[in-house]
Amino acid sequence: MTNPHPSRRTILQALVAGAGVAALGGCTRVVERMSPPLSEAWPRVPEAAPPAAYRLASRLGYGPVAGQVEEIERIGQESYVLRQLDADFEEPTALQMRLRRLDIETFGAYDLRDLPEAEILRQLQQAALLRAVYSPNQLKQRMVEAWSDHFNVFARKGLAAYRKAESERTVIRPNALGSFPAMLKQMARSTSMLLYLDNQQNRAGTPNENFARELLELHTMGVDGGYTYDDIRDVARCFTGWSEERRFLRPKGSFRFIAELHDDGEKMVLGRRIPAGGGVRDGEQVLDLLAKHPSTARNISRRLCRLFLGEAPDAWVESMSKTYLSTQGQIREMIRPLLLSSAVLDSAPILKRPMDFLVSSLRATGAESDASRPLQAHLEAMGQPLYQWPMPDGYPTDTSAWSGSLLARWNFAMEFAQGGIQGTQAASPLSDPRAWRTAHLIPDHPAFAETASETEALALALMSPSFQWR
Amino acid sequence: MQRPWVSCDGHGQTPGSTSSRPDTHQEHPGERASSEGDLDRRTLISRFAMAALGGLLMPSALAQVAFQPNRRTENVLVFLFLRGGADGLSLVTPYREDEYFRLRPATKIVAPRPGSDLDLDGQFALHPGLVDLIPLYREGDLALIQAVGSQDQTRSHFEAMATIEQGTSTASGRGAGGWLARYLNSTRSAADSPLRAVSFGDTLPDSLRGSPQATRLNDLDDLRLTSAGAREKEIRKNLEALYRSSSDEVAVAGLQTLQVLNQIEQLRSAQAPRTSEAYPNSPLGRGLRDTARLIRASAGLEVACLDLGGWDTHVVQGTLGGAFEGLARDLGASLAAFARDLGPEMKKVTVVVMTEFGRRVYENSGLGTDHGRASIAIVLGQRVQGGRVAGEWPTLAAERLEEPGDLRVTTDYRSILAEVLTKKFGVSDLSRIFPDFTPSPLGLLA
Repeated sequence: MTNPHPSRRTILQALVAGAGVAALGGCTRVVERMSPPLSEAWPRVPEAAPPAAYRLASRLGYGPVAGQVEEIERIGQESYVLRQLDADFEEPTALQMRLRRLDIETFGAYDLRDLPEAEILRQLQQAALLRAVYSPNQLKQRMVEAWSDHFNVFARKGLAAYRKAESERTVIRPNALGSFPAMLKQMARSTSMLLYLDNQQNRAGTPNENFARELLELHTMGVDGGYTYDDIRDVARCFTGWSEERRFLRPKGSFRFIAELHDDGEKMVLGRRIPAGGGVRDGEQVLDLLAKHPSTARNISRRLCRLFLGEAPDAWVESMSKTYLSTQGQIREMIRPLLLSSAVLDSAPILKRPMDFLVSSLRATGAESDASRPLQAHLEAMGQPLYQWPMPDGYPTDTSAWSGSLLARWNFAMEFAQGGIQGTQAASPLSDPRAWRTAHLIPDHPAFAETASETEALALALMSPSFQWR
Repeated sequence: MQRPWVSCDGHGQTPGSTSSRPDTHQEHPGERASSEGDLDRRTLISRFAMAALGGLLMPSALAQVAFQPNRRTENVLVFLFLRGGADGLSLVTPYREDEYFRLRPATKIVAPRPGSDLDLDGQFALHPGLVDLIPLYREGDLALIQAVGSQDQTRSHFEAMATIEQGTSTASGRGAGGWLARYLNSTRSAADSPLRAVSFGDTLPDSLRGSPQATRLNDLDDLRLTSAGAREKEIRKNLEALYRSSSDEVAVAGLQTLQVLNQIEQLRSAQAPRTSEAYPNSPLGRGLRDTARLIRASAGLEVACLDLGGWDTHVVQGTLGGAFEGLARDLGASLAAFARDLGPEMKKVTVVVMTEFGRRVYENSGLGTDHGRASIAIVLGQRVQGGRVAGEWPTLAAERLEEPGDLRVTTDYRSILAEVLTKKFGVSDLSRIFPDFTPSPLGLLA
């Protein structure tokens, strides 16, 4: 903007004309001209703030359960953050029992093969929801969700559901706060990913670039990370033969490097010569190279910043990238300074995604839930059926992607408050509205005086604009 | 140092906005990039925007449900995106070119028999799965454009989609909002229907991002408050009170949702759906059916966005009888049903079909095709100068391909969109919508 002080009249005229700030005049920069005119003038963040402890529990995890705000205030924010980073709370017995009943918690993809796909999908979502609602290791669960987006696998493709169940259990969860390079390397050997990105089709002479491309663009360096098409092509060649077991009497679907399908010629990846004859080591070298690349450090740092701040300020991205490079990608070390700083609470609110909204509703109301299909159906109606995002980039994280789905949230809130979702019930008996208010669930607003019942007050609280942010 | 919940006090930046926020790194907390003057201006703008919004949205808007069709135009744009990169060479086959058959041994579509209806112009043939579109093509209501694309060279789904949905040369300006959002915002008025812009699907497409008027839905029948029972009126009233006392993005979306509920309710009671027209029972078929319902009801619909995904055919693309043909059939049958269903009301409607990129000319080892460059676009409507395959055909000759073996883009996708906006929606200043771009009209619209 070249004119820092447009007159009141100019502004009023612009708005009356419905043309918003674009008409303010003197706007010559393309980016500014392109911004949708009204949005800049449109305040987009909630005004009333719940207490800091409430917001912290909503950023690191899926919102507080009853009494947790007071608990965090008692032990102090720092202790809370450190405990969450350690993620060493024992899981409650009830949660363990519920999880133990799920086949996917015990068996590998091959042993699950006789179960129908719908059952696997149901169990996958059930396990994720149960953990998010009931695990005291809230930060860990949020990280699991984030990495599952980062290494997105569309569970409805072929047999991917079975394999996704296994990789969620053996790759994502164990590494969620640990080593990013370890997770990256294990994912590249997971046949959930190789199947999803068609790498069984990637063969000498006729490479399939799908896996190579997303490995560079999404999993590691980022689209602006500085690689070229030639890099994609040769990365694809390095991964030729990374496939799955298909032989008789072998555990079908497990990882297998098929040497006969591998392109054993020399390759050049990111300026590094990968000599001929490397076999399976070609792909491993590429993964090493990518795991150590500064672009990967930045890309992963950006993702983590957005998870906790809703944006990726350069200074934080830089400092986290440094930590990534100096600790060989230790996730816990990367996020520790961020979570202990005031940046989390200073940043603008982030719109809850449907998973966030639903889980925080259950937590805030002390709900009993088996997280079965009726609950999952609501998540689907809100637009986030878990593990079913078809594109490799995972569910979107930005506000504008989700602000159009309020009606489904309202319908969930009403049905939930009325006890109409089979297998899910808010704490009963509903305590008096003052209790909900002290739980920071019911905003101080006259609309609640008009409600006919506590059920309706609870529904309205979950439907309210302030409950949509974290 | 704790600061209060960031609010619309001038610090309040959009979550996810591209403008870099003031640095909150621990080494220099509290330092602000913006100058004082800037803050003053922003505060001023926010305040007046709220006042103006109050007039637009607040007191009487919900009570007054007689929605007028927008005053500028009665026209409707249906923007249908084929996600995954649809193979234009299979949809509109250059069957005279030997190269096509040589490079596509397993995925080629055989040349039409002499005199076949699928032969479009003696040079190109329509995919048999799209056969339902032939009558529209012969009547001149449907134009096919070959070798359409953007300048994006990444061949990344996300970059290429973002480019086309943002209406830019490449996706470098990510976060700038969608081209449809810019159109909608630059022509907003108080008389706009809350159903001015809808998208069918689970999330809002990038093309509509940044438009507070955009509504996302899966199905018109979904648009109701379930379980509200006899208290629905009171619940809505309380919701309105809650959402009106906030001013964030969600509050705006909430008020709009309440308006939509009112309008849909009227629509439902006013008109039973026409059932005679058989749409495919697919998300696309149902989305177009609902789009037609909104158009027939004069609900003030101006922009509808729909998706058809699944075109990323790296593996076993198939020729006939495969996954690709299934998609083509869905596309052809849904569009044909839509045009038949609307009948004379099609005169208001322009349908534009695009995809993020085409596929590599030579197929891969998995009997599929990898990401390429140019693909086709479709424009359908009663004022379309159709019945032809438009656009300059770059041919498949090796020296005419773009490395590493892709059909060259000869028509920038924005030329098509620009023509629709100027001819059907009265847009005179395209620079606001497609900055730094000079369209080359193809004469697709009368």
